[in-house]
Amino acid sequence: MTPTVRSRRLTASPPSLTTLLVKVVALGIVDAIAVVVAFVLFGHGEWFVATLALLTAAVLTWIYLRRGALPAKYLAPGTVFLLVFQLFVIGYSGYIAFTNYGDGHVGSKDDAVAVLITKSLTRIPDSPAYPMVVVERGGELSFLVTDPDGVALVGGDGRPLEPAPDADFSAGKAVALPGYTTLNFAQMLQQQTRIAAMSVPLGDDLDEGAMRTANGSEAYVYRASMHYEEERDVFVDVATGTVYADTGTGAFVSERGVELMPGWKVDVGFENFGRAITEESIRGPLLSVILWTFVFAGVTVAATFGIGVLLAMMLNDPFLRGRRIFRVLMILPYAFPAFLSALIWSGLLNPQFGFVNQVLLGGADIPWLTDPVLAKVSVLIVNVWLGYPYMFLVATGALQSIPMEYIEAAKVDGAGRWATFRKVTLPLLMVTMAPLLIASFAFNFNNFNVIYLLTEGGPQDISTEMNVGATDILITLVYKVAFGETSGRDYGLASAFAIIIFLLVAVISVLSFRKTKALEELH
Amino acid sequence: MSASRPRIRRRLLRAGKYVVIVFVSIVSAFPILYIISASLNPFGSLVGANALFAQVSLDNYIGLFSRPAQPYAAWFLNTLVIGLISSAGTVLLGGFAAYAFSRMRFTGRRVGLVSILLIQMFPQLLGVVAIFLLLTAIGEVFPAIGLDTQLGLILVYLGGALGVNTYLMYGFFNTVPTSIDEAAKLDGAGHARIFFTIILRLSAPVLAVVGLLSFIGTVSEFVVASVVLTDPAKQTLAVGLFQFVTQETSANWPIFAAGAVLAALPVVVLFFVLERYIVGGLTAGAVK
Amino acid sequence: MKVNRTRVTIAAALGLVVGIGLTGCAPSGETGPDETGGTLTVWVDSNRVTELEGIAQQFEADKGITVELVQKEFGDVMKEDFVKQVPTGKGPDVIIGAHDWLGLFVQNGVVAPLELGDRASEYSDVAIRAMSYEGTLYGLPVSLENVALLRNTALADATPATWDELVAVGQAAVDAGTAEYPVIIPSGPESDPYHLYPLQTSFGAPLFGLNADGSYNPADLQLGSAGGEAFAAALVEWGAEGVLNTNITGDIARDEFAAGKAPFMISGPWNLPAFQAAGIDYAIEAIPAAGPETPTPFVGVQGFFVSAKSENPLAANEFVVNYLGTEEMQLALFHAGGRPPALLSAFEAASAENPDVGAFGEVGLEGVPMPSIPEMGAVWNYWGATEAALVNNTAGDPAEAWQTMAGRIESDIAG
Repeated sequence: MTPTVRSRRLTASPPSLTTLLVKVVALGIVDAIAVVVAFVLFGHGEWFVATLALLTAAVLTWIYLRRGALPAKYLAPGTVFLLVFQLFVIGYSGYIAFTNYGDGHVGSKDDAVAVLITKSLTRIPDSPAYPMVVVERGGELSFLVTDPDGVALVGGDGRPLEPAPDADFSAGKAVALPGYTTLNFAQMLQQQTRIAAMSVPLGDDLDEGAMRTANGSEAYVYRASMHYEEERDVFVDVATGTVYADTGTGAFVSERGVELMPGWKVDVGFENFGRAITEESIRGPLLSVILWTFVFAGVTVAATFGIGVLLAMMLNDPFLRGRRIFRVLMILPYAFPAFLSALIWSGLLNPQFGFVNQVLLGGADIPWLTDPVLAKVSVLIVNVWLGYPYMFLVATGALQSIPMEYIEAAKVDGAGRWATFRKVTLPLLMVTMAPLLIASFAFNFNNFNVIYLLTEGGPQDISTEMNVGATDILITLVYKVAFGETSGRDYGLASAFAIIIFLLVAVISVLSFRKTKALEELH
Repeated sequence: MSASRPRIRRRLLRAGKYVVIVFVSIVSAFPILYIISASLNPFGSLVGANALFAQVSLDNYIGLFSRPAQPYAAWFLNTLVIGLISSAGTVLLGGFAAYAFSRMRFTGRRVGLVSILLIQMFPQLLGVVAIFLLLTAIGEVFPAIGLDTQLGLILVYLGGALGVNTYLMYGFFNTVPTSIDEAAKLDGAGHARIFFTIILRLSAPVLAVVGLLSFIGTVSEFVVASVVLTDPAKQTLAVGLFQFVTQETSANWPIFAAGAVLAALPVVVLFFVLERYIVGGLTAGAVK
Repeated sequence: MKVNRTRVTIAAALGLVVGIGLTGCAPSGETGPDETGGTLTVWVDSNRVTELEGIAQQFEADKGITVELVQKEFGDVMKEDFVKQVPTGKGPDVIIGAHDWLGLFVQNGVVAPLELGDRASEYSDVAIRAMSYEGTLYGLPVSLENVALLRNTALADATPATWDELVAVGQAAVDAGTAEYPVIIPSGPESDPYHLYPLQTSFGAPLFGLNADGSYNPADLQLGSAGGEAFAAALVEWGAEGVLNTNITGDIARDEFAAGKAPFMISGPWNLPAFQAAGIDYAIEAIPAAGPETPTPFVGVQGFFVSAKSENPLAANEFVVNYLGTEEMQLALFHAGGRPPALLSAFEAASAENPDVGAFGEVGLEGVPMPSIPEMGAVWNYWGATEAALVNNTAGDPAEAWQTMAGRIESDIAG
């Protein structure tokens, strides 16, 4: 009598010397990297991330050094990448959704203030170019300029210009001053940021203007059209007196709502989400676009699955000749990058000059991409063309895993081909492929490339309020709204949409999983 | 004779199969034929290329490689390197995870399986800003894997390793009976040995499929690659070819066609190489 | 557990050793601002990079700063990369760009004003206006481009004075069998407002009104004037006559004209190489008016901008103004790119050399810069879609459709 074998959980076998060495070296490297990262991050003042890095290394080390914890050992590598490059990305997009990051709001407030100050300096019209050199004394920089009358003047930041009678001239230009060192170009470069920021007042009255230089050899007189008051944190327009204040929206705004460009990035709370749901330009066509998105994704998945499985089964027949060639021909659509194929198809389907109309259909005039209904059909045809090889490949692989005994058993039981397929092959296929179908649905739900490159979402219906075309799916619509609207790219809004779409797709997928019980394993 | 009717039926069925298969092959292939003919046509544009193979010359291919600002050869190499490394990494990482999901029982297993599928459903297009900022930040600590590095791009792609492909492998691993595992355990094999010598070998078809799919995915990936790689010499085929047709003043179709044809070669070659594994089934002998 | 402790100790020890070693050669946390004789990074496109190498070497020899030329493909990618990278401090110091990128650049605060002083008058007026935004000059203009009328001298002897006559001449050629199209105008599914602009302005419907200083006033949309409605009606007519066809995309248009299938075409200088290669004998002339006013084509200007966060502001300005702004440089870039130079003296020299360029430039002198305000994205979109619908006669009443479009554009710009 054979002893009953108790099924034992997989356990770690006692380690050999090589395994131990490999493990230790690998862990050593990981820990070393973590220490370096932590050092640098501490240097930058990024305490949180540094601690995170150290913690991760500690956890990894613990996982791999202890006995057992097998699942963790196998899952750790992939999970680390997943966490850093997927989950974090999602999280960060979520964070961006709560800010106003986008065109006009890309930097920090200090950057914006600096740029605004520079922008507001306008050269007084007809101000002549004053030849100049930069001189230095005791660490302090000054401008030595020659005014149009040939008089040399010297001054610096906050030190108004004064005549410098004992300046040395060369070819009509003052080039040196006793007691000062003249900087040559290389020396100027060392201080160029300082020099470019210097503003030398013409006189005691600041409204006369100030001298600035952009290249160190010529200076012009500038007047500021706007004045930044640091204490009140406002910009005041010198001419009109309009006050631009920081109202918390990430820009300096006047009372009448005029914004100064550039602004800066601020958190805006749920404003983006609110806009996403209530924005006029989206709400109108939203329902029809969502409907079409579902249809597009659903039909694509169904058609690619059907065709793929059918072909896989047909080519499974060992008596069919030339199977290899056919297999290669069939994955050709998939071999080309999808977006290249989309571009090619858009050319093929050109109503007047495209290959399809001209050659295949002998000069027909079918408006493939310009008629709203036909455009939808064309987009589906192209997407199925692009997608069925994937299903074909997977089905081919999956069919190999169906033990022949099952099929034979069914035949012995007298089942016909169709019945065998329905009762034996299909359920076994679905075990592998059901999650793929769901994933493919999600992928096509967000299939921006194909739609955009084929029709740009068109053909546009200009009678509607907005910018939506007959083949626009949710994500191309979002792209147009968030990235193409009046004020440039709005990453905050786009991220809000991304989160909303993601939640939508995730909920649908989870429900589908439950329904198909796809996670029931087969043993 | 009663035997001839089923035989005739079988013949008809097979003939029918041929018809369908040939038809599908034509539909799959004609755009490819078109592109090949356009690539061989020195004056090709949409209009000119309609006459298939009217003119045959290698001008476009030569022109493809003689544009110093658009280093096709570099793109090709980059794509191969990035594609092969990413897909190898995906198969390995995914395989590990699939093994854990399939053979082990632990808390959070079901949640884990569903999550890896769900996480990949995030629309990449809208997440590129975050990726850009992430790599910029990483680049300050480790310039070697930051923005504008191929290593950085590979790492981003590996972030997607645990996804649908893992699920494929998980499903396949499930079909390998645990009795094989048991037998191996009786022989004294540890978990690692079982994984590498038994499961992986028996799963050759799915590994080949996943490798191929992952390679194709990487080669076609365009959005993230264009954000990460900015130096023309480091870019991939996808990013480079896209420039040919989105130039402001006139799309350069003939060169684009030549480039696209060459771009498809690695995938086709890879398929040829892996085809044996994809269709090689579970041979009964491997178990013993 | 003895084994565990050993493992832990070994791992920790190794980790410490390697860690300390790596830290030694870790990248230093603070990369300070560029030291003496630092590097000036310039982004330039493939057409101009070789010419820039010469002047860059000169600059290096004179001033001792290395100039690093980074080649990028001219287009949206370069523009967006610039906007993304400058705020992070990683952007270039100087970038070549198109003038209609200015709105975006200023909006994001990534370019610094450029001071040309008196030298500004040495450049063509259009070029300086194009490179300015809200009155401040930001870029050094290098070249201009605009569309003009191309005539296939083998198919038509002269260019008529008005557009309608031109169409008649073209139609006659078609009827006689010597041509397939009366005139070719590049279009597309969303039409091409850029190519149609001269015709539109000849009806008296420019896009925006101008301020006193010549810059655009986005609040003064003149698109929807009575002239615009007349233009809209004309579009429908032309669509019916076959003068306009949304199936003819840019490259199809180029190929058909190169194949000698039309006596006239509206095109820019970028297609000339193709026509020369095909052996077409062409003449470049101004576009005849279709309405009562003078046609003013859009002019696109390319030039160099300086980054607002450059760490080498002096060097960058010196390089751009005094090295790139010389007659030799402008001529060298002209030889490379075939576009009329912006510097007037260089333009004269160039026209003497190449009459084609001179001809395009002459037409361009009558032109207006394309508006560079950030809101232009939405404008092009509505504009193009409506024009396409009018050409295909799916828009209903032309005047109404045109007014609806104008209304939408106005409300979008107002925000």
